[in-house]
Amino acid sequence: MGYIRTGKPDVRPDLPAHTPGIMSGNQTGNYDKQVGHKPDGTSTAERSTGINPKARNPIDPRMPNLPPA
Amino acid sequence: MAIQERVEPQAGNIVDMSWDPITRIVGNLGLYTKIDFDNREVVSCKATSSIFRGYSVFMKGKDPRDSHFITSRICGICGDNHAVCSIYAQNMAYGVKPPPLAEWIMNLGEAAEYIFDHTIFQDNLVFVDFCEQMVRDTNPGVMDKADQTEAPHADLHGYRTIGDIMRAFNPFTGEVYKEALLISRVSREMFCLMEGRHVHPSTLYPGGVGTQATPTLFTEYLSRLLRCLDFIKKGVAMNDDVFDFWYEALPGYEEVGRRRIQLGCWGAFQDPDVVSYAYDNMETAGNAMFVTPGVVVDGELLNHSLLDINLNMRIELGSSYYEDWVNEERFVTHDPLGNPIDMRHPWNQTTIPKPQKRDLDGGNYSWVMAPRWLDQRTDERLALDTGGGAIARLWATALAGLVDTPYVKATDGQSIQINLPQTPNTPEQTLEWRPPRWSNAIERNRSRMYFIAYAAGMALHFVNKGLDEVRAGRTKTFEPFDVPDEAIGCGFHEAVRGVLSHHLVIRDGKIANYHPYPPTPWNGSPTDSYGTPGPYEDAIAGQPIFEENGRENFRGIDIMRAVRSFDPCLPCGVHMYLGKGKTLKQVHSPMFGAQNG
Repeated sequence: MGYIRTGKPDVRPDLPAHTPGIMSGNQTGNYDKQVGHKPDGTSTAERSTGINPKARNPIDPRMPNLPPA
Repeated sequence: MAIQERVEPQAGNIVDMSWDPITRIVGNLGLYTKIDFDNREVVSCKATSSIFRGYSVFMKGKDPRDSHFITSRICGICGDNHAVCSIYAQNMAYGVKPPPLAEWIMNLGEAAEYIFDHTIFQDNLVFVDFCEQMVRDTNPGVMDKADQTEAPHADLHGYRTIGDIMRAFNPFTGEVYKEALLISRVSREMFCLMEGRHVHPSTLYPGGVGTQATPTLFTEYLSRLLRCLDFIKKGVAMNDDVFDFWYEALPGYEEVGRRRIQLGCWGAFQDPDVVSYAYDNMETAGNAMFVTPGVVVDGELLNHSLLDINLNMRIELGSSYYEDWVNEERFVTHDPLGNPIDMRHPWNQTTIPKPQKRDLDGGNYSWVMAPRWLDQRTDERLALDTGGGAIARLWATALAGLVDTPYVKATDGQSIQINLPQTPNTPEQTLEWRPPRWSNAIERNRSRMYFIAYAAGMALHFVNKGLDEVRAGRTKTFEPFDVPDEAIGCGFHEAVRGVLSHHLVIRDGKIANYHPYPPTPWNGSPTDSYGTPGPYEDAIAGQPIFEENGRENFRGIDIMRAVRSFDPCLPCGVHMYLGKGKTLKQVHSPMFGAQNG
């Protein structure tokens, strides 16, 4: 730190960022676990919620399965 | 508040004048000038910064995935530009390419930011220097002439005389001032739709965005954009009228803030069809950007390769409060293509602060380092400026001739055509921007309004592209990635007021080195070790003074117009004192005109 006197840090610089062992949102394989997100980049109505997502699908299979987006 | 400082008495009528701090900018800008009142000229100028930030110091050891959230806090007005630039650098380091929809959403957010920030700066801060109240105070002769001069574009903006326009610029009471505040709110709403929160985005990440891309999202954005377009079309016409009048009313005003044309633009708005975020894709991706990167020197486009722009960056010392880092660790010896990386390149920089007393006579006087760009033809380290962003972006884009979209075209290598559609209160309009003769205060300011129109035209294009993705069912907005143990990355973007780069080195999965270079260090840099003055110093030294007030009532308006033309973030509180520590006048404050409000 050059000529500036600083105190001893109380915590590691990356302490609040990530706890080892906990899954990161960005990690590979995570996308495949998300309901309603298909491998080709399209999505279905299941994407609209994490609570009982299958109930969001159309009531008749002949109807289009549209995502909220 | 004006600081107290001992001032040496000057021979004749040369007076020391200082503005310190010019507040609400990153780095506490101060200007120390010597003004020759007999010859009505600024003899010399030094640009100083009295605050140390230290982002490059405290970023070390942190998780790199945090860097866009942390660096966003560098600025309270263009923090999102830092976030986006950091994300570009992280994407390169992680080897991840976001889905196209995410890129369009990010582009839309950034376009809204340009519209918002340029509007609030131009109409609520710059035009205070050109408003009726200010001009009547500093140049009453000009105001009388303005009242008698018909506005050439009165049919477009509705103001009969130039004086009427200048009255509309009056703070707190003028119509333009008040409407600009409204537009800045509407454009911030546009921004928040795409990036979640202004000015520190909550939905931008490396690998993509968290924004829910629904058709409603884009139509909500579009309806607000059309509202802004009415204001923008009138604004361009008003700008042209006022600035053309200024040249006519004050012959020689082109010398105010003028310096050699040395402009840098690092490019903005990625094209998802081309960008891969791989280092070897940088040149191709840069040329596909919807604002072309480039270095413009003496009116010629010297280079428009992001690869060359990156390799030739040099961070010099000379008048800055730092120890040199030549004997410190060299983080990157060669880029991924095998090109050697200089020790003075941001990838290899180590920040070693060395606080000391300010010495304006040949010593160190600023916390800003001196970023320069090495011109390989002449081995000259160019003190590039950004001209407040807009002029450099337009100039580089016009000369490169690569941008071709339905609303904005720069295909002839000489100019930019902006086609704005019919909107509720105004008909269709085609604007043309051509490189001006000078890089001076007036042209920097004029370009700003044209770039607002440019950003709005681009936003229309991005809305269409985003909706195409959603309608095709391609709703994916993020791509997973893993953080590598060792990696380097660099991101190039345009902050609203000019060039922005972030350089990142990752080791053991943590940040080993991180250096953001925003526009103000380029513009506000002090004299470097080669004796080259920084752009503010260069532009202000030698400029004539047109203010009609004498020494006792001097407000320094021409100097303020010159420095504000560079858009030193948001200069809202400038104070000034005359030699011997005597405070002469408060030149400019956010409450100017409050007595009328």
